[in-house]
Amino acid sequence: MKELRILIVDDSSVMRKIVDRSLRQAGLNITEVFEASNGVEALARMQQTRVDLILSDINRPTMDGLELVKQLQAVENAKGVPIVMVTTEAGEAHVVRALSSGARGYIRKPFSPDQIKERIIPLLQGKK
Amino acid sequence: MQLIISAKSSGPGGNACKLAELPRVETGQRFTEALGHAAAEVFEMMVGTPLSLLDQDTPPGFADYTAMIGLAGDLCGVLSFRCGNPTAARIAGLMLGSTEAASAESIRDALGEICNMVAGSFKAQISDIAAQCMLSVPMVVSGKDYEMYPLADGLRIQVSRSFEGALVWMTLDLHGG
Repeated sequence: MKELRILIVDDSSVMRKIVDRSLRQAGLNITEVFEASNGVEALARMQQTRVDLILSDINRPTMDGLELVKQLQAVENAKGVPIVMVTTEAGEAHVVRALSSGARGYIRKPFSPDQIKERIIPLLQGKK
Repeated sequence: MQLIISAKSSGPGGNACKLAELPRVETGQRFTEALGHAAAEVFEMMVGTPLSLLDQDTPPGFADYTAMIGLAGDLCGVLSFRCGNPTAARIAGLMLGSTEAASAESIRDALGEICNMVAGSFKAQISDIAAQCMLSVPMVVSGKDYEMYPLADGLRIQVSRSFEGALVWMTLDLHGG
Protein backbone atom coordinates (compact mmCIF):
# COMPACT_ATOMS: atom_id res chain seq x y z
CA MET A 1 0.00 0.00 0.00
CA LYS A 2 1.07 3.54 -0.74
CA GLU A 3 2.98 5.40 1.96
CA LEU A 4 0.78 8.02 3.57
CA ARG A 5 1.26 11.31 5.36
CA ILE A 6 -1.76 12.32 7.35
CA LEU A 7 -3.00 15.26 9.38
CA ILE A 8 -5.24 14.60 12.39
CA VAL A 9 -7.14 17.60 13.76
CA ASP A 10 -8.85 17.19 17.12
CA ASP A 11 -8.81 19.22 20.32
CA SER A 12 -8.40 15.99 22.27
CA SER A 13 -4.85 14.60 22.27
CA VAL A 14 -6.25 11.26 23.43
CA MET A 15 -8.55 11.14 20.41
CA ARG A 16 -5.69 12.05 18.06
CA LYS A 17 -3.79 9.05 19.42
CA ILE A 18 -6.81 6.77 18.96
CA VAL A 19 -7.34 7.92 15.38
CA ASP A 20 -3.65 7.39 14.60
CA ARG A 21 -3.70 3.91 16.15
CA SER A 22 -6.93 2.95 14.41
CA LEU A 23 -5.58 3.99 11.01
CA ARG A 24 -2.53 1.79 11.54
CA GLN A 25 -4.70 -1.10 12.79
CA ALA A 26 -6.78 -0.68 9.65
CA GLY A 27 -3.65 -1.52 7.67
CA LEU A 28 -2.78 1.91 6.28
CA ASN A 29 0.91 2.42 5.64
CA ILE A 30 1.42 5.65 7.53
CA THR A 31 4.88 7.14 7.38
CA GLU A 32 4.22 10.50 8.98
CA VAL A 33 1.48 11.90 11.22
CA PHE A 34 0.95 15.60 11.82
CA GLU A 35 -1.35 16.71 14.61
CA ALA A 36 -3.29 19.90 15.17
CA SER A 37 -5.55 20.72 18.08
CA ASN A 38 -7.71 23.23 16.18
CA GLY A 39 -8.43 24.64 12.76
CA VAL A 40 -5.95 27.48 13.06
CA GLU A 41 -3.08 25.09 13.74
CA ALA A 42 -4.28 22.82 10.93
CA LEU A 43 -4.33 25.68 8.42
CA ALA A 44 -0.83 26.74 9.46
CA ARG A 45 0.39 23.17 9.05
CA MET A 46 -1.17 22.84 5.62
CA GLN A 47 0.51 26.06 4.44
CA GLN A 48 3.82 24.28 4.96
CA THR A 49 3.08 20.62 4.35
CA ARG A 50 1.48 18.37 1.79
CA VAL A 51 -0.42 15.36 3.16
CA ASP A 52 -2.44 12.53 1.61
CA LEU A 53 -5.38 12.61 4.01
CA ILE A 54 -6.87 14.93 6.62
CA LEU A 55 -9.08 13.68 9.44
CA SER A 56 -10.83 16.33 11.50
CA ASP A 57 -13.38 16.45 14.25
CA ILE A 58 -16.15 19.04 14.00
CA ASN A 59 -17.07 20.28 17.45
CA ARG A 60 -14.24 22.20 19.14
CA PRO A 61 -13.75 25.61 20.71
CA THR A 62 -11.36 27.17 18.18
CA MET A 63 -12.33 27.06 14.47
CA ASP A 64 -14.63 24.08 14.13
CA GLY A 65 -14.21 21.35 11.54
CA LEU A 66 -16.70 22.74 9.04
CA GLU A 67 -15.01 26.13 8.99
CA LEU A 68 -11.65 24.40 8.57
CA VAL A 69 -12.91 22.48 5.54
CA LYS A 70 -14.09 25.73 3.95
CA GLN A 71 -10.82 27.55 4.62
CA LEU A 72 -8.72 24.65 3.37
CA GLN A 73 -10.24 25.14 -0.08
CA ALA A 74 -8.05 28.22 -0.42
CA VAL A 75 -4.86 26.41 0.60
CA GLU A 76 -2.80 25.16 -2.34
CA ASN A 77 -1.37 22.16 -0.45
CA ALA A 78 -4.88 20.99 0.48
CA LYS A 79 -6.23 20.88 -3.07
CA GLY A 80 -7.37 17.37 -3.91
CA VAL A 81 -6.62 16.07 -0.43
CA PRO A 82 -9.56 14.07 0.95
CA ILE A 83 -10.92 15.43 4.23
CA VAL A 84 -12.82 13.05 6.48
CA MET A 85 -14.83 14.29 9.43
CA VAL A 86 -14.52 12.17 12.60
CA THR A 87 -17.17 13.23 15.03
CA THR A 88 -19.85 12.32 17.52
CA GLU A 89 -22.31 14.52 15.63
CA ALA A 90 -23.64 11.96 13.16
CA GLY A 91 -27.18 13.14 12.53
CA GLU A 92 -28.30 13.46 8.92
CA ALA A 93 -28.18 17.26 9.06
CA HIS A 94 -24.58 17.20 10.28
CA VAL A 95 -23.52 14.73 7.60
CA VAL A 96 -25.14 16.85 4.88
CA ARG A 97 -23.50 20.02 6.22
CA ALA A 98 -20.09 18.37 6.37
CA LEU A 99 -20.27 16.88 2.90
CA SER A 100 -21.66 20.04 1.36
CA SER A 101 -18.88 22.09 2.95
CA GLY A 102 -16.33 20.00 1.09
CA ALA A 103 -15.59 16.98 3.29
CA ARG A 104 -15.31 13.72 1.36
CA GLY A 105 -16.24 11.32 4.14
CA TYR A 106 -17.70 10.96 7.57
CA ILE A 107 -16.84 8.65 10.46
CA ARG A 108 -18.93 8.56 13.60
CA LYS A 109 -17.24 8.24 16.98
CA PRO A 110 -17.02 5.67 18.46
CA PHE A 111 -15.51 3.72 15.59
CA SER A 112 -13.65 0.49 14.97
CA PRO A 113 -10.56 0.04 12.79
CA ASP A 114 -12.79 -1.88 10.36
CA GLN A 115 -15.08 1.11 10.00
CA ILE A 116 -12.06 3.34 9.39
CA LYS A 117 -10.82 0.94 6.72
CA GLU A 118 -14.22 0.79 5.06
CA ARG A 119 -14.49 4.58 4.82
CA ILE A 120 -10.89 5.61 4.18
CA ILE A 121 -9.45 3.11 1.74
CA PRO A 122 -11.95 3.77 -1.07
CA LEU A 123 -11.25 7.49 -0.69
CA LEU A 124 -7.51 6.96 -0.98
CA GLN A 125 -8.07 4.77 -4.03
CA GLY A 126 -10.19 7.51 -5.56
CA LYS A 127 -13.31 5.37 -5.57
CA LYS A 128 -15.56 7.87 -3.80
CA MET B 1 -19.87 23.18 46.72
CA GLN B 2 -23.20 22.90 44.95
CA LEU B 3 -23.38 22.30 41.22
CA ILE B 4 -26.69 23.38 39.76
CA ILE B 5 -27.36 21.71 36.45
CA SER B 6 -29.01 24.02 33.97
CA ALA B 7 -29.28 23.85 30.18
CA LYS B 8 -32.59 25.45 29.51
CA SER B 9 -31.85 27.53 26.47
CA SER B 10 -33.54 26.82 23.20
CA GLY B 11 -31.53 24.99 20.61
CA PRO B 12 -30.69 25.66 16.99
CA GLY B 13 -33.49 27.41 15.17
CA GLY B 14 -35.18 28.22 18.45
CA ASN B 15 -36.41 24.66 19.04
CA ALA B 16 -38.00 24.17 22.42
CA CYS B 17 -37.12 21.15 24.53
CA LYS B 18 -39.45 18.28 23.71
CA LEU B 19 -39.35 16.41 26.99
CA ALA B 20 -42.67 17.77 28.26
CA GLU B 21 -44.42 16.31 25.19
CA LEU B 22 -43.11 12.79 25.79
CA PRO B 23 -44.68 10.07 27.95
CA ARG B 24 -42.57 10.14 31.11
CA VAL B 25 -42.34 6.44 32.03
CA GLU B 26 -41.78 5.09 28.52
CA THR B 27 -39.29 7.83 27.76
CA GLY B 28 -37.39 7.09 30.95
CA GLN B 29 -37.18 3.41 30.09
CA ARG B 30 -36.14 4.06 26.52
CA PHE B 31 -33.51 6.64 27.48
CA THR B 32 -32.12 4.34 30.18
CA GLU B 33 -31.70 1.55 27.65
CA ALA B 34 -30.20 3.90 25.04
CA LEU B 35 -27.72 5.32 27.56
CA GLY B 36 -26.64 1.82 28.58
CA HIS B 37 -26.12 0.83 24.94
CA ALA B 38 -24.24 4.03 24.22
CA ALA B 39 -21.84 3.47 27.12
CA ALA B 40 -21.32 -0.17 26.13
CA GLU B 41 -20.53 0.80 22.54
CA VAL B 42 -18.04 3.50 23.55
CA PHE B 43 -16.17 1.30 26.01
CA GLU B 44 -15.98 -1.67 23.68
CA MET B 45 -14.80 0.32 20.67
CA MET B 46 -12.70 3.13 22.12
CA VAL B 47 -11.44 1.81 25.45
CA GLY B 48 -11.21 -1.82 24.38
CA THR B 49 -12.69 -3.09 27.64
CA PRO B 50 -16.38 -3.86 27.96
CA LEU B 51 -18.56 -2.59 30.75
CA SER B 52 -20.41 -5.18 32.83
CA LEU B 53 -23.84 -5.08 34.32
CA LEU B 54 -23.85 -4.83 38.08
CA ASP B 55 -25.18 -7.70 40.19
CA GLN B 56 -27.34 -5.26 42.06
CA ASP B 57 -28.40 -1.70 41.60
CA THR B 58 -25.43 -0.17 43.31
CA PRO B 59 -26.17 3.37 44.46
CA PRO B 60 -23.64 5.87 43.13
CA GLY B 61 -20.99 6.94 45.57
CA PHE B 62 -18.71 9.93 45.34
CA ALA B 63 -16.60 10.31 42.24
CA ASP B 64 -13.14 11.77 41.88
CA TYR B 65 -13.89 12.83 38.32
CA THR B 66 -17.07 14.12 36.70
CA ALA B 67 -17.13 14.72 32.95
CA MET B 68 -20.12 16.69 31.67
CA ILE B 69 -21.55 17.66 28.35
CA GLY B 70 -24.56 19.85 27.63
CA LEU B 71 -27.41 19.08 25.27
CA ALA B 72 -29.53 21.81 23.72
CA GLY B 73 -32.33 21.75 21.19
CA ASP B 74 -34.93 18.98 21.11
CA LEU B 75 -33.53 17.79 24.42
CA CYS B 76 -32.00 20.19 26.93
CA GLY B 77 -29.87 19.04 29.79
CA VAL B 78 -26.54 17.65 30.90
CA LEU B 79 -25.02 14.21 30.64
CA SER B 80 -22.36 13.38 33.19
CA PHE B 81 -19.95 10.47 33.46
CA ARG B 82 -18.41 9.79 36.86
CA CYS B 83 -15.79 7.48 38.23
CA GLY B 84 -13.02 7.19 40.80
CA ASN B 85 -9.41 8.22 40.30
CA PRO B 86 -7.86 4.77 39.64
CA THR B 87 -10.60 3.99 37.13
CA ALA B 88 -10.13 7.33 35.39
CA ALA B 89 -6.39 6.70 35.10
CA ARG B 90 -6.99 3.18 33.79
CA ILE B 91 -9.48 4.38 31.17
CA ALA B 92 -7.07 7.08 29.99
CA GLY B 93 -4.19 4.60 29.83
CA LEU B 94 -6.23 2.18 27.73
CA MET B 95 -7.37 4.91 25.37
CA LEU B 96 -3.81 6.13 24.94
CA GLY B 97 -2.55 2.58 24.45
CA SER B 98 0.11 3.23 27.04
CA THR B 99 1.26 1.31 30.08
CA GLU B 100 2.73 4.46 31.60
CA ALA B 101 0.69 6.41 34.14
CA ALA B 102 -1.57 8.89 32.37
CA SER B 103 -1.10 12.54 33.24
CA ALA B 104 -3.90 14.50 34.91
CA GLU B 105 -4.40 16.36 31.64
CA SER B 106 -4.73 13.12 29.68
CA ILE B 107 -7.20 11.76 32.23
CA ARG B 108 -9.40 14.84 31.91
CA ASP B 109 -9.10 14.71 28.14
CA ALA B 110 -10.02 11.01 28.01
CA LEU B 111 -13.04 11.37 30.30
CA GLY B 112 -14.28 14.37 28.35
CA GLU B 113 -14.10 12.33 25.16
CA ILE B 114 -15.87 9.38 26.79
CA CYS B 115 -18.69 11.68 27.86
CA ASN B 116 -18.79 13.30 24.41
CA MET B 117 -19.00 9.94 22.62
CA VAL B 118 -21.58 8.50 25.00
CA ALA B 119 -23.73 11.58 24.42
CA GLY B 120 -23.29 11.32 20.64
CA SER B 121 -24.12 7.62 20.61
CA PHE B 122 -27.11 8.19 22.89
CA LYS B 123 -28.38 10.91 20.56
CA ALA B 124 -27.97 8.64 17.54
CA GLN B 125 -30.12 5.97 19.20
CA ILE B 126 -32.98 8.37 19.85
CA SER B 127 -32.64 10.32 16.61
CA ASP B 128 -36.41 10.29 16.10
CA ILE B 129 -36.67 12.48 19.22
CA ALA B 130 -33.37 14.32 19.20
CA ALA B 131 -32.77 15.07 15.52
CA GLN B 132 -32.15 18.74 16.33
CA CYS B 133 -30.02 18.41 19.41
CA MET B 134 -26.57 19.93 19.72
CA LEU B 135 -23.79 18.94 22.08
CA SER B 136 -21.55 21.38 23.90
CA VAL B 137 -17.82 21.01 24.31
CA PRO B 138 -17.28 18.66 27.29
CA MET B 139 -15.88 19.81 30.60
CA VAL B 140 -14.37 17.80 33.45
CA VAL B 141 -14.50 18.50 37.18
CA SER B 142 -12.11 16.78 39.58
CA GLY B 143 -12.71 16.51 43.31
CA LYS B 144 -15.45 15.07 45.48
CA ASP B 145 -16.67 18.01 47.48
CA TYR B 146 -19.81 18.83 45.58
CA GLU B 147 -23.32 17.60 44.98
CA MET B 148 -25.32 17.82 41.78
CA TYR B 149 -28.89 19.08 41.96
CA PRO B 150 -31.14 18.69 38.95
CA LEU B 151 -33.65 21.43 38.27
CA ALA B 152 -37.32 20.85 39.04
CA ASP B 153 -39.68 19.21 36.55
CA GLY B 154 -36.89 17.41 34.80
CA LEU B 155 -36.11 13.79 34.11
CA ARG B 156 -33.09 12.11 35.67
CA ILE B 157 -31.77 8.92 34.12
CA GLN B 158 -28.99 7.10 35.92
CA VAL B 159 -27.05 4.14 34.56
CA SER B 160 -24.38 2.38 36.60
CA ARG B 161 -21.94 -0.17 35.26
CA SER B 162 -18.86 -2.07 36.36
CA PHE B 163 -15.57 -1.32 34.66
CA GLU B 164 -12.98 -3.95 35.62
CA GLY B 165 -14.82 -4.31 38.92
CA ALA B 166 -15.02 -0.58 39.67
CA LEU B 167 -18.18 1.46 39.53
CA VAL B 168 -18.73 4.00 36.78
CA TRP B 169 -21.99 5.80 36.27
CA MET B 170 -23.71 8.16 33.94
CA THR B 171 -26.44 10.59 34.82
CA LEU B 172 -28.62 12.32 32.27
CA ASP B 173 -30.47 15.32 33.67
CA LEU B 174 -33.01 16.63 31.20
CA HIS B 175 -34.93 19.81 31.58
CA GLY B 176 -38.71 19.55 31.55
CA GLY B 177 -39.14 22.01 28.69
